[in-house]
Amino acid sequence: MTNTIDAKILAKMFLAGARNLESQKEWINDLNVFPVPDGDTGTNMTLTIMSAARDVAAMQKIDMFSLCKAISSGSLRGARGNSGVILSQLFRGFTKSVREKETLTIPMFADAFEKAVETAYKAVMKPKEGTILTVARGMSEKAREMADEGCGDLAVFFDEIIRCGDEVLEKTPEMLPVLKQAGVVDSGGQGLMQVLKGAYDAFLGKEVDCSVEAAAPAPSGEDKAARVKAEADIKYGYCTEFIILLNRNFNIRTEMDFKAYLESIGDSIVVVTDDEVVKVHVHTNDPGLAIQKALKYGALSNMKIDNMRLEHQERLFKDEKAAPGTEQESVQKEEPMPHKEVGFIAVSVGAGINEIFSGLGVDHIIEGGQTMNPSTEDMLNAIEKVNADTVFILPNNKNIILAANQARMMVENKKIMVIPTRTVPQGITAIINYVPDLSAEENQELMEREMGNVKTGQVTYAVRDTVIEDKEIRQGDYMGLGDHGILSVGGDISGVAFRMVQEMMDGDQELISIYYGADVTEEDAQALREQVEKAYPSCDIELQYGGQPIYSYIISAE
Amino acid sequence: MDKKVAIITDSNSGITQAEGKELGIRVLPMPFMINEETFFEDITLSQEEFYDKLESGADVVTSQPSPESVMELWREVLTQYDEIVHIPMSSGLSGSCQSAMMLAEEFDGRVQVVNNQRISVTQRQSALDALTLAGRGMCAAEIKDFLEKDRFNSSIYIMLDTLYYLKKGGRITPAAAAIGTILRLKPVLQIQGDKLDAFAKARTSSQGKTIMTGAIRNDMENRFGGVSADNIWLEVAYTKDLDAAQQFAQELLKEFPGFDLVINPLSLSVACHIGPGSLAVACCKKIH
Repeated sequence: MTNTIDAKILAKMFLAGARNLESQKEWINDLNVFPVPDGDTGTNMTLTIMSAARDVAAMQKIDMFSLCKAISSGSLRGARGNSGVILSQLFRGFTKSVREKETLTIPMFADAFEKAVETAYKAVMKPKEGTILTVARGMSEKAREMADEGCGDLAVFFDEIIRCGDEVLEKTPEMLPVLKQAGVVDSGGQGLMQVLKGAYDAFLGKEVDCSVEAAAPAPSGEDKAARVKAEADIKYGYCTEFIILLNRNFNIRTEMDFKAYLESIGDSIVVVTDDEVVKVHVHTNDPGLAIQKALKYGALSNMKIDNMRLEHQERLFKDEKAAPGTEQESVQKEEPMPHKEVGFIAVSVGAGINEIFSGLGVDHIIEGGQTMNPSTEDMLNAIEKVNADTVFILPNNKNIILAANQARMMVENKKIMVIPTRTVPQGITAIINYVPDLSAEENQELMEREMGNVKTGQVTYAVRDTVIEDKEIRQGDYMGLGDHGILSVGGDISGVAFRMVQEMMDGDQELISIYYGADVTEEDAQALREQVEKAYPSCDIELQYGGQPIYSYIISAE
Repeated sequence: MDKKVAIITDSNSGITQAEGKELGIRVLPMPFMINEETFFEDITLSQEEFYDKLESGADVVTSQPSPESVMELWREVLTQYDEIVHIPMSSGLSGSCQSAMMLAEEFDGRVQVVNNQRISVTQRQSALDALTLAGRGMCAAEIKDFLEKDRFNSSIYIMLDTLYYLKKGGRITPAAAAIGTILRLKPVLQIQGDKLDAFAKARTSSQGKTIMTGAIRNDMENRFGGVSADNIWLEVAYTKDLDAAQQFAQELLKEFPGFDLVINPLSLSVACHIGPGSLAVACCKKIH
C-alpha cells in the first residue's frame, strides 16, 4: 500500500497525464458543442499542458519545489483557450499548495485539490457549472471526504476520485442544456479526466508513455540542425501508398512474400489486408517496383506518391520563415518601436481585417482567432514588443480573453488593459471609440460600453450533424452564429447571411458592416450588401474585405 | 462720463445681420470665393445657397475681409461711438485677427481687437458678453482684457458626417492625418480656443454624440468648475441639418437638465472645411 508519493513520481505522473491528454486530443476536439470547424478544446489543453511538460522533462534534478515551479509557470505561459487557462490555473493552485512539501499524503492532496479549484474559479469572471470547473470541484470534494474518512491508500484514493470525476462529467449534459442537445459531455472536463487517468496509470506503474521532448535551451538553432540531419537520414525518398483491388487469392503466404519483397526495396511498410482489398504503404526509392509487384495481385486505386525529401526541404524553408529569432525579428530588434504612452494589441486573422486594425492604430497584431487561440506566452511576447506604458489588448474572441487576462497579471512593468472584446467587430468598435485625451480607465469604460452596443453575426459551416437550440444542422450546412446562439441555418451562404442579419436587427441599429472572408467572391459579397441595403434603407451599409478563413462573413450591426 | 462702446464681430459668430441689428452688434460679413466669384455671408450668400454649391462640388474658399471694408466699417461706427471692441474669428483658424490688430494701430486705441480664439457659437457668446460688459460701463480696453483672460473657458466638439471635405480642403491636415483607415468613420474634432484638432472617432452618430456629451461633461467638471447651469452656457451648432441639431439638443437637455441651450448654424467658414451633416456641442463659462 502506497501512502505517500515524492517529486519524482509526481513528475512521472504529470508527464503521463500530459501524454494521455495529447493522445486523446482529437476526440476531445470533437466534443465541441457547436459543430464549427474549430472545435479545439483538446488542442488548446494539450498545448497548455505540453508547454509545462517540456519544462518538466528538461529538469536535471527533480525536487518538489522546482517541479511545482516548472508545472505552474510552464502551463501559465502556454495557456490557450478557456479550458487551457482554467487547466493552468488548476495546476497553479495545486502546485502552490504542495510546493513546500517533500512527499505528498492524502490530506495534502485534498488540500491541494481545494486550492486548485479555488484558484481556477477565481480566474473565471462568471464561472459556469457543467464545465471543467464542476468536474474539478466534484473531485476535490470527494478528495476531502476521503481524507476526512482517514483513507490511507493512494491507489484507492485516486481510483475513487477518478470514478467520481467521471460521474460528474456524465452529469454535465444535465447542467448545461447545450451539451445535452448536442449529445456530448463537457470537453474541458473530459480533457481534465484524461490528464488524471494518465497520471493514475503512471502511479500504478503501468507501461505508459512519459516521453516528452524536453524544452531545448536554444530551440531554434539546435532544432534546425537536428532537422537538417534528419534530412540526410532520409534513406528512402518516396512515400508510396495505394490500394490493391484483389483479383486473385491473397493468403497469409502471399502476404508474407509481398511484405518481404517490399522490405527489400524500402521501409516503413504497412500492409493491411481486408477480404477484397489490400492497403499498402511503403517508403522506397523506386515506387515503380512496388507498383509492378502489386499489379500481380489485382488492379490499383487511390495511388499517392510523395517526394519526402522535397517536402522536407519545403518544411525547413517554412520553418525558417516562421521560426523565431530569424531575420524578420532581428530587423525589429534593430529598429525598436518608438516609445508611446499608449499602445494597442489586437488578435486578428485575415489580411483585410489585419489592415483595418492597423489603420485604426493597432501597434501589434497577434495572428489568431477562433481556430488558433494564441497562448498567454504569445500575449507576453506581443506586450514585450509594444513599447508603451499602457497597452490595451483586444482579444476579439471569447476563447482568448482569459489568456489575455492571465498575461495581464503576469506583466509588471507595463499597465495592461484587457478590453474583453468577444468578436472582431467589437474590437473594431472598441478601438474606434478610444479617445486619446482620456485616461486609460475612462477609455476602458467607454470602450466596453460601446462594444456592448455592437451585435455580431458570423457565418461558417458545420463539420458534423447536430441539433442546437432545436435547430437541426447537417454536416456541410452553413450556420449564422450570433452573440448568443445560432441565428440561421441553411445550404446557401448568402441566404444564411441575410437571415442572420434579419435576426440581428431590432430597430435601433444605424450601421451594418459586412466583412467578407477569403472564400467569398467580391461579387457575392456585393450582392449581399445590396440585398441588405434594400431591406434596411435607413441603415448605412459598409462592405469590407476581411479575408478571414473559415468564417465566410462577419457582420455587425450597431 | 462713460464712453460709448460699440461691439463688432464677424459673421463667423453665426449672428445674422438681422439678429445683429436687434442686439446692437455690428456684424462684418465674411467673404467667400466660390468658383472664383466673391460672395458675402448673409449678404449675397444664404446658408442654402452655400450648401447647394458646396455639395455640387464647387470650389469654396474662405478669405479675409478686405482691410478696406474693415476700416470703413470702423470709421462709420466711430462717428456714433467713442470706442470699438472688435471680436474676429480665432487667430488659430484665420489671419483676419492678425490683420485687424495691425489695422487697429492706426486708430489710436479707439479700436480694441480681441484675440480670444473663439469661433462660431463661442464667438457669438463673446460678442454677447462684450455687450453685457459695455453695459456695465467697461471701456473697450477693459473689455478686451476681460475677454482675453476668459479665452480658454470654452470648448467645442464637432462630429463630422464624412471625412470627405476635410480631406478635400487639405487645410486641417493634422486632424485628417490622424485617421488613416479604410473604414468609413465619423471623426470627432475639437476646438480648444485654438485650431481644429482631432479628438476621437466614431462609427455611428450615436457613438459620436455619446463621445461629445462625455467630453463636454468632462470639461465642465474639470475645467469649468462643475456641471452647473448657473455657470455654463451650452450650445449646439450644426451644418445644414437643423432637425438633427434639435434632436441632439433634446438629448443634451436630458443629460444636462436646466441648462440654457442655444442652437445655431455653424459658421460657413468652418462648414466649408467639414461639410454638411456635422453636429457640434460647445460650452462657455458664463460671466458674472
